[in-house]
Amino acid sequence: MDEIIQLESVSFRYGDVEAIRDVSLTLPAGVFGLLGPNGAGKTTLMKLLLGFLHPAAGRGEIMGQAMGERHKSLRRLIGYMPESDCLIAGLDAVSLTAYLGELSGMPRQEAMKRAHDVLYYVGLEESRYRKVETYSTGMKQRLKLAQALVHDPRLLLLDEPTSGMDPAGRKEMLELIRDIARKGSMNIIISSHLLPDVESTCRQVVIMNQGRIAAEGAIADLKKDRRNLYEIKVVGDPLPFLAQLREQGWQAEERDNALFLVIPPAGTDPATLFRAAHQRGVQIRHFRQSRISLEDAFMDVIRGSNGH
Amino acid sequence: MDIREKGYSRWEGALRASRFDWLPIARNGVRAVFKKKYAKLIFSLCASNFFIFLAAVYVSTKPELKILGELVRLLKSDAELFKTFYSNGFLTFMLIILSVFSGADLISSDLKFKAFPLYFARPLSRLDYLAGKFSVVLFYLLAFTLAPGVLLLLFKMLFTGSLAVSPLLLLAILAFPIIEAVCLASLTMALSILSPNTRFIQIAIFLVYIFSNNLAQILKAIFRSDYFFLFSLSANVEQLGSFLFGVKPAHGYPAWLSLLLPLAISLLSVWLLAWRIRKAEEGA
Repeated sequence: MDEIIQLESVSFRYGDVEAIRDVSLTLPAGVFGLLGPNGAGKTTLMKLLLGFLHPAAGRGEIMGQAMGERHKSLRRLIGYMPESDCLIAGLDAVSLTAYLGELSGMPRQEAMKRAHDVLYYVGLEESRYRKVETYSTGMKQRLKLAQALVHDPRLLLLDEPTSGMDPAGRKEMLELIRDIARKGSMNIIISSHLLPDVESTCRQVVIMNQGRIAAEGAIADLKKDRRNLYEIKVVGDPLPFLAQLREQGWQAEERDNALFLVIPPAGTDPATLFRAAHQRGVQIRHFRQSRISLEDAFMDVIRGSNGH
Repeated sequence: MDIREKGYSRWEGALRASRFDWLPIARNGVRAVFKKKYAKLIFSLCASNFFIFLAAVYVSTKPELKILGELVRLLKSDAELFKTFYSNGFLTFMLIILSVFSGADLISSDLKFKAFPLYFARPLSRLDYLAGKFSVVLFYLLAFTLAPGVLLLLFKMLFTGSLAVSPLLLLAILAFPIIEAVCLASLTMALSILSPNTRFIQIAIFLVYIFSNNLAQILKAIFRSDYFFLFSLSANVEQLGSFLFGVKPAHGYPAWLSLLLPLAISLLSVWLLAWRIRKAEEGA
């Protein structure tokens, strides 16, 4: 079986709000980033995958098992790190992790042994006997990762894994995710608003917007479409200059003070930019082909899917 | 990173599917209640009912002993003994305390700390979750009703040297605590799922107990009808005891009607739990 997730025309509504609209998606084994603005439907999609919600229409398979049916056996194969700050009060980290391992179907003794292992792995070995209510946000994030790993799932769903972490903690968390991904035994879906996090851990992304799949594929391919993007800095009044560029079919947007990103229309020689600058009396002090970030590609996809 | 020299290691074992997926929840809950502050004090008070009746049973078999004579006279028959043992006001009050102590925070704490995604991401159905939590309250309620009831019967046989026991009495000894515990446990659970504020739940359980008794007393005083005792939790416990053990009812209405209150409470609680837990899973 090559695909871990296959969805066909899946829809879901919260009352009148259509949260997932006719989503068809096929994900092969690997590590994927799930991107999208707030309300795009990422969390709803994760809940559908976990069986918390049942699709109003469409069908799907997750690791060969039909979505919405036999969710018990499916959930044995999934590790879920929720976004919300959730914990089970009154337990220390070892007891909590072992308890959740046991609920996943692990034998009691093995769950306890494995709990120690995963807590060591995520860097909580020193504080594993502390009550989880006393944990900082960063520690809770690590604990949530540990509980998702305890039963060694085949599919790991990470919802905002670095949320609320300091830079050092965030770096460590991303390194852990990369390490798990490198081992190749686990398929991972990372939902995050932090595009650099996704870029540093995944090669493939799925971008959602307004409940639909706006784009999917390799990050490199998404960036490739925007290779003819240029950064320019101008001295002088930029408005007439930008207006002329737009008349000639260029796209232009301001990034920082006097720094603009411009994209020529297909087949246009970038040198026409300098002619326009000369005609409008502005000087171009900086001109270089832009290094495309995932954020640029993401924004482009979102704008495109919004119809702008 | 300094750790993880060996990197992520896989677990080589196999996950088990079980019909008792709720058992770890029950086990963890029972252990957590036992570790609570004041647990031993509350358990001792609950158990004191048993020791008092044990002493009474012993004394009743030894006519030469005069102590507890009044209690012994009250317990004219086995049915009277066990009806009083199970439905006396002190034990009913202690069972309310025990329900508050063992069950008020069972679900409300999960609501407060948003634990549902952790549970429902596991191979657990909503029913498993509720069964696990329900078992915790049921365990403690039965531990201080059914278990001492059976022990009391055994001790009585031992003291009297007779193994003769009426099958109806035996059935009543087993059925009464089960009905009472199921009703109290489901009420506790239904209230526990209403709010993440455990203090509020504790007060609500007490209010149901006190308010139901006061309401019945007030209505009885106004309308001069014993039927209003159907609203009272403790009066129903007493009346149910009379019905199951076949002794003269304390209140002037058919004793079997007192089966309705626990039944209604349990059904309403199950409906409320099913509705709220479905919402909780969807929102997990």
